Amino acid sequence: MSAPTTDADPIEAHVADLSAALHGPVRVKSRMVMDLRDGLIDAARDLSCGREPDHHAARQAVYEFGTVAEIAPSFQRELTIAQARHTARAVMLIVPFLFLCWHLAETWDGSTGHQLPDLVQLLVAHLGGIAASAAFLAAAALAATGALARWLPTPHQLPLLVAWTGTTAAVALAISALTLTLASVLATNWPLSAVAGVVTIAFHTRIAASARACRECARVTLAGP
Amino acid sequence: MKASAVRGHLDGLLLSVLESGPLHGYAVITAVQERSNGVLELRKGTIYPALNKLERLGLLRSVWESEGERRRRCYELTDAGRRSLATERSVWREFTTAIGAVLEPAPQPGQAT
Repeated sequence: MSAPTTDADPIEAHVADLSAALHGPVRVKSRMVMDLRDGLIDAARDLSCGREPDHHAARQAVYEFGTVAEIAPSFQRELTIAQARHTARAVMLIVPFLFLCWHLAETWDGSTGHQLPDLVQLLVAHLGGIAASAAFLAAAALAATGALARWLPTPHQLPLLVAWTGTTAAVALAISALTLTLASVLATNWPLSAVAGVVTIAFHTRIAASARACRECARVTLAGP
Repeated sequence: MKASAVRGHLDGLLLSVLESGPLHGYAVITAVQERSNGVLELRKGTIYPALNKLERLGLLRSVWESEGERRRRCYELTDAGRRSLATERSVWREFTTAIGAVLEPAPQPGQAT
């Protein structure tokens, strides 16, 4: 963005333009943009020699901080990593929790002498394997973008990898939910299987939304300069 | 000095100006410029994502501080940040010594030292 020529406050206009150009977790974005806004206000005050900053000082501060085109890529890189970490955290926490739910449902059914059909168990086991691999990858991604990044560079493609890992986990969870819901009709203890299916659908929605946002962020970052 | 020349050393510069105590974002910018006597040109807006990254890596932590009616986010070094700064300094000294040894004219034979 070049410095606005309207009567609008140049700092507020700049902050709004930057915010509109960025994609990522709302809290992190708001925090970084508000920090920048505070800095712009300080800079405008400095340029006004302590007086109430005027329009010219605000425009000069915006110029010195850099246009949206100049600074947005570095903001977006951080937001993309933040979104990748959100997605990775969701996969890493939710998938083991669902494993526990499924295990409890199966154990409960077993104790009453009514197992889920073999085919269903086999399918859920395979999907569980996929989801567990996704959880492992998610944990590795969290480490690679956290403290480990002090020593190792973060690969540019990592957020995209996390996005597709999340998508894979979400698809595996969706098929599992469908399978469990259908199986619940066959099982004697159908309410338990049905509950497990509903919980899985709820978490599928959560992971799928985060993975979609992560894909969008990664696309914007990779398309940038 | 152009902002692009500073880019690879930005993390070290930010850690260094925060060594003496917590500062908010704009104070970090002015501290870098004052300590370099205005020689280092920063694209000031890019400081904020850089601070965010250092916090994500656990090298900084941020705290809210009140300044009159305004609440400001201030950044301070963690123990890991202090260790990282010490490493950055050591690497920088080795680098400048090596480059200096190449760039500086070698003493001529017989020239008094």
